[in-house]
Amino acid sequence: MLSYIVRRLVLMIPTLLGMTFLVFMVMAMSPGGIGGSLLNELGQLDSQQARAQKDYYERRYGIRDNPLVQYGRWLHQVSPIGFEIDVNLDTGERRWNNFGFKWPDLGRSLAMKRQVTEIFAEALPVTVLLNVLTTPIIYALAILLGIYAARHRGRLFDVLSSVSLLALWSLPTIMVGTLLIGFLANRDYLPWFPPAGLSSLEAHNMAFLPGWSVDGWERGWLLDRLWHLTLPVVCLLYGSFAVLMKLMRTSVLENLSSDFIRTARAKGVTEHRVLWGHAFRNSLLPLITVMAGILPSLLGGSLIIEYIFSIPGMGQLMVEAIRARDREVVLANTLVIGLLGLLSILIADLLYAVADPRVSYE
Amino acid sequence: MSEIDALIPHPGMPAPEPTALVQPPPRDQARQTLLGMVIQRTFANTGAVIGIAWLGVLAVGAVGAPFLASSYPLVVKTTDGQWFFPLFRYLTAVDVMLPILMILAIALVSLRRFSARKRVVTFFLAGIVVATTCLLLIHPQRREVFSEHRELQAAGKVQWSISPPVPYSPRDRQRDLGYPTYLPPALGGPHWMGTESSGSDVFSRMIHACRIALSIGFIATGIAVVIGVIVGGLMGYFSGVIDLLGMRLVEIFSAIPTLFLLLTLVAVMPPEWNPYRLYAIMVLIGLTGWVGYARFVRAEFLKLRKQDFVQAAIACGLPLRSVLFRHMLPNGVAPVLVEASFGVASAIMFESVLSFLGVGLVDEPSWGQMLGEAIGAAGSFKWWMAVFPGLAIFFTVMAYNLIGEALRDAIDPHSQRSTML
Repeated sequence: MLSYIVRRLVLMIPTLLGMTFLVFMVMAMSPGGIGGSLLNELGQLDSQQARAQKDYYERRYGIRDNPLVQYGRWLHQVSPIGFEIDVNLDTGERRWNNFGFKWPDLGRSLAMKRQVTEIFAEALPVTVLLNVLTTPIIYALAILLGIYAARHRGRLFDVLSSVSLLALWSLPTIMVGTLLIGFLANRDYLPWFPPAGLSSLEAHNMAFLPGWSVDGWERGWLLDRLWHLTLPVVCLLYGSFAVLMKLMRTSVLENLSSDFIRTARAKGVTEHRVLWGHAFRNSLLPLITVMAGILPSLLGGSLIIEYIFSIPGMGQLMVEAIRARDREVVLANTLVIGLLGLLSILIADLLYAVADPRVSYE
Repeated sequence: MSEIDALIPHPGMPAPEPTALVQPPPRDQARQTLLGMVIQRTFANTGAVIGIAWLGVLAVGAVGAPFLASSYPLVVKTTDGQWFFPLFRYLTAVDVMLPILMILAIALVSLRRFSARKRVVTFFLAGIVVATTCLLLIHPQRREVFSEHRELQAAGKVQWSISPPVPYSPRDRQRDLGYPTYLPPALGGPHWMGTESSGSDVFSRMIHACRIALSIGFIATGIAVVIGVIVGGLMGYFSGVIDLLGMRLVEIFSAIPTLFLLLTLVAVMPPEWNPYRLYAIMVLIGLTGWVGYARFVRAEFLKLRKQDFVQAAIACGLPLRSVLFRHMLPNGVAPVLVEASFGVASAIMFESVLSFLGVGLVDEPSWGQMLGEAIGAAGSFKWWMAVFPGLAIFFTVMAYNLIGEALRDAIDPHSQRSTML
């Protein structure tokens, strides 16, 4: 098992290299090149200042060099093994010092004038929270309702659900998000939910749990956060839920009509044990297989949702960075999102082995 | 195709004529090809028929857009007895080409006397001729004055005129009427679905957006399928090192969420490309969407390559092209068709998301762009800008998904049994 995990982790490296290379070269081909955003902002300065600034950027980042050289430089910057580099800012000279382990450096955002690591430390937990909150809800709902539909096959619930699941799956997130925020979080209609953000302004003064304070009922930090997360989570979960519930229903039905279930029933096993003891675990396998595809699509979906609900996560960061051509942020974002995607695929594969004892990676 | 090539039987080939010894099956059953059977079964599915009907409505909107919604009347008779045909001065080559091709397509479909292959070939040849003639001959007037007719009318110079049902062009900001921004919809009023932030009529833009939605879906998916089939086919056929490298490529594209990649690609597109932005977006959606098809074809080809008929084809010394595309592909293509139907739905979804985020089409009417304007800067909500375009996207995506489901059931009897069970 361990050797399998190590092999998969090693195989991730070429994939990550390919991903960042692809994005880097795409940005290199764009007008203004990789340093496009740097030079864009120069328009606002007077010519002498602009030239000085340009010279500085050229020395510091080498934005006039061959893209391949620049990509190599970026790789060295993010790799955990390498040289300590001293850049002489006056001459643009680079001195390569002692080789060894170092901290990977994601660089400095040029549009936001901050370290990328710092920005990610704020944005990444938000996106991860959104996804970590949504995934179990999707799976729990899909598994329970899928089993229910399968057991009541042909009844009203089953027929209604199979029609509405396809509709649910086809509903565009941008429409659902806009309608939810427009009708349920708007002063002109129903102001039930907050229209933007993750917390109210006064949330950091609140106690963690809801309770009574001097000026009456206070909802507390936790409830406030959940209240802000309700609409985004609803938006994020319905599409994947539809896919998974349909899959679960099919899978339970297939298992219930197979030979080992007939044997169990013939032995006189109770219907309850047939379902939960025999069919249930087998039916979970396809759900775990699709997990590898669901997680990247959730990350992509959270991009739209963060944009609509103004949630300061990785998705919104990415949209802003791409608009500003902020190369360090875009590259680092690709790296992190890609790593998350690959790790989730690996986790899905490992879970598959846990759920199905016939599968082994030895 | 070589002589030998035609002699090797393979499952994709039409069934041989039944010999006299065997009890001949009923005439129509024997004549039915796999494709015919799939089409028949798909049409037997209510959902698919509803989906196809909706796509038909869209197709009519897409083809007839300039005749359905335009600021220029079809015919004008002025008070001094002159006749004008303003609409026809502004028709582009594509506007003329599409109705001709549509009439041709309907005519060919109803001509059952000729074989399917003949009809398809005729359609393509005629299409090329029509397209080149239109592109060479038609040069529309560039300078558009949308208020032309309204001004003539106001001056009392028009005796009578026939206008399109929606008398506004998609880009008609109605400057002469004082930019009527964000008018709510009024049935029977001038703007059935209201107006948007720039003052253009929403209904008119909805009709013109049909063309973009349909073409994006087809072309982007077409590109994705071609790339996917070639890459997946090579991976499955050769396996080994090529497969390992190919799988890394597939992994690269499937680990980054497609939307992230697409957003990066679209955002760094040079501004010189703006006149061709629509086509560039189609190509980009195609370039990022091939992974699914490659996986399917690879899996099928890995199974097929050891089968006897493929081994026989290789042993006969057929060229690789023939082995891959003539013998293996017809047997591995069914799941790709199903996937392509869902792929069209997701291509339309991606285009609308890009336009929603404001990096998609510039100034062209698109459902996503209208949806993106539903929530104004001050948090005001224009429901008509969200509901109408949103429902249009929803119905279209749903239609393709319904057709995809029906196709899957028609092609794979096993899946039909398991979902209907």
